[in-house]
Amino acid sequence: MRRREFLKLSAAGLAAGISTRASAATWPARPVRIVVPYAPGGASDIIARPWAEALSQELGQQFVVENRGGAGGMIGSEAVMKAAPDGYSFLLTPCAALTILPLMQKTPYDPQKSFTPVGRIGDTISGFVIHPAVGPKNFKEMVDYAKANPGKLSYGSAGNATITHFRLEMLKYRAGIDILHVPYRGSADSLNDLLANNIQMMAEINPLPHVKAGKLILLSINHPKRSPEFPNVPTLTECGYPNSDMISWYAIWAPIGTPPDIVQKFNAAIAKIGSGDDMKKKLQAISAVEVVDKPEETAKFLGEEIQRNAELIKAANIKLE
Amino acid sequence: MELGNVFGNLALGLSVAVSLTNLFWCFAGTVIGTAIGVLPGVGPVATLALLLPITYHLTPEGALIMLAGIYYGAQYGGSTTAILVNLPGESSAVVTCLDGYQMARQGRAGPALAIAALGSFFAGCVATLVITLAAPPLTKVAQQFAAADYFSLMVLGLVFAIVLARGSVIKALGMIFIGMLLGLVGTDVNTGNTRFTFGISYLFDGIGFVPLAMGVFGIAEIISNLTSTERRDLASAKISGLMPSREDLKQSIGPVLRGTALGSFLGLLPGGGATLSSFSAYTLEKKLSRNPEKFGKGAIEGVAAPESANNAASQTSFIPMLTLGIPSNAVMALMIGGMMIHGIIPGPQVMEQKPGLVWGLIVSMWIGNLMLIILNLPLISIWVRMLLVPYRLLAVAILFFCCIGTYSLNNSAEEILFIAFFGVVGYLFIRLNCEPAPLLLGFILGPLMEVYMRRAMLLSRGDPMVFFQRPLSVTFLILAALLLLIVIAPNIRKKREVAFQE
Repeated sequence: MRRREFLKLSAAGLAAGISTRASAATWPARPVRIVVPYAPGGASDIIARPWAEALSQELGQQFVVENRGGAGGMIGSEAVMKAAPDGYSFLLTPCAALTILPLMQKTPYDPQKSFTPVGRIGDTISGFVIHPAVGPKNFKEMVDYAKANPGKLSYGSAGNATITHFRLEMLKYRAGIDILHVPYRGSADSLNDLLANNIQMMAEINPLPHVKAGKLILLSINHPKRSPEFPNVPTLTECGYPNSDMISWYAIWAPIGTPPDIVQKFNAAIAKIGSGDDMKKKLQAISAVEVVDKPEETAKFLGEEIQRNAELIKAANIKLE
Repeated sequence: MELGNVFGNLALGLSVAVSLTNLFWCFAGTVIGTAIGVLPGVGPVATLALLLPITYHLTPEGALIMLAGIYYGAQYGGSTTAILVNLPGESSAVVTCLDGYQMARQGRAGPALAIAALGSFFAGCVATLVITLAAPPLTKVAQQFAAADYFSLMVLGLVFAIVLARGSVIKALGMIFIGMLLGLVGTDVNTGNTRFTFGISYLFDGIGFVPLAMGVFGIAEIISNLTSTERRDLASAKISGLMPSREDLKQSIGPVLRGTALGSFLGLLPGGGATLSSFSAYTLEKKLSRNPEKFGKGAIEGVAAPESANNAASQTSFIPMLTLGIPSNAVMALMIGGMMIHGIIPGPQVMEQKPGLVWGLIVSMWIGNLMLIILNLPLISIWVRMLLVPYRLLAVAILFFCCIGTYSLNNSAEEILFIAFFGVVGYLFIRLNCEPAPLLLGFILGPLMEVYMRRAMLLSRGDPMVFFQRPLSVTFLILAALLLLIVIAPNIRKKREVAFQE
């Protein structure tokens, strides 16, 4: 309780310190803080870095990435929610902190009311991966195998209520198959067990290099478009499961109340950078693709995602117990 | 691997590592590492996190060489604070406190620091060689470990914790359980529910190791020193010699060799590898020693073994990352982040596609170890002189650095409150004659044990026999049972002797 008051006081102090009201004409007049609510070196951080660098060049002020990890993204997100909405504090987060976490537990923020979207900046590509010793060589064979052997396969996720968990729950629900969920703390340990065939499946980005090395089989690409790195692997929609991708998408958000003209100017800069080849190349190197949306498109997408996840949670009876 | 291949790889690595810029980054990394290792509270994880963005502007080789340098440099530096002021900056330095600090109090800080540095250097050289010669086969060995095996290994580790205790076994057991309970705070991996967090989001990720260790070791020690009215400087005895005597060296050879071997192997395992290695190296020496009663009272073997073990482990923990792209601890996860920032996707292909990077990094580790020993041996006289600073000043400085260091972990003031709280708790433990080392081991291993046990049970579809069917697992369990018997047996025997006398 005391902490809340302290935060409020310090936020008020910050706001009072900036006497002149921020406006788009002069924005950004000083360094801009982009909070990544996860530890450095994680996927969000790695996406944030090239963007921060490009934005610094484009807008002529330093865009500083600040890692405020903890509580599944809640702590950093809360910090931005409480920051002064003056155009100098933003949140860069993967979708889960907004589209999954608030559906599963109480969060200090409301995903649709606490933030205003600046724009989606990229998606990471992933897909269903299976250990070759199991047998199935493609998506259909895997579904047939799982149907013939209910409960025999197990899959590893990066933890409960993470997108890697939801991706497979979605598959189980849509395909009507039974696969055992084994939660891990992060996807590194899970990959280790997958390589040793202790678990048989994952749906994450980090097994992909092992697919290239021939140690694992990639069954599908969970994205509307096929990946240029795996041109022969069909998308999940092509496999017969539309609207089940569970994309990991990344977007920048501002605290609610941030002047709309600043948001627009920021979005325009993102769109310009995102259309350049340089950013495309940088993102491709980390298995991501650029997807640049307008703020209103991002807001709409957020709403759809939340609705779909809520349906899945209900239908598949996913809960933290 | 063919021998010719090894030389070819080493030559390639050497050509990368000794380029002027890379030598510079290696030096920079080891210096920064030593500095943060010495400062209490500031660990390699926080520092790497802080410096990661900067490496964006370096070459991938330079970046990784520097980050690695910080990591093993911190292992060297970490022993300094553990020995001088009883502050373990990292879980792997906890056991170094036990005998190192006692040595410092007896005026033998110099030999303790020197043997820690020499042992680390030797271990570092051996571990580098292990990586060069055996990285791929060792990776396969590490992959043989499944959840059930890890669980049994952790059980063995907890039995080590009892052996660590100097005094009563019952109290040690109690401390282990308190540690395990503290370790349960936070989000449960299996259900995603939070436990013992009282709704405070800062507790969702659990209690941090650093505030806990700083509190129960360092702060508690300061409180306890200040409660005595007599003038109590750290070096209570006269400082006798900076370098280890011939006798010291002779006593240390065995522990260093065994510690290196244990550390090289345990470092491969994810999670508590480096920590387990230092604990188990200490336990092994205590069990092998002809006079185990010396341990905990300033035995040089008690410094030599764990320090060699944790340095060896910190280097072999690179193996899973280099061969598979799988990080075995938080620092390796950051190194992987460092690679990805440069557009290198970690995985099995890195060794083939970027041999210069991998071998350059490996060779740089050896060069870095050399730099560290050259850097650290002359520093010893300065560190030892630091003990002559009046305690009333030193205590304030230690507290100050502890607070800054802990705050910097997460930029959160809550962590400092935790230190204060655990400082008071630690002081109570001292007054009750309960030792904090078993508590910390319980704190680290307890949650891991739970996770592995539940995962093993999940994968076996609820069949507990899985712990007895896997050869690795059953071996560890038998070892744990034997060790437990050895610990309890003398007590039983003593009691029986007492009984017979009556």
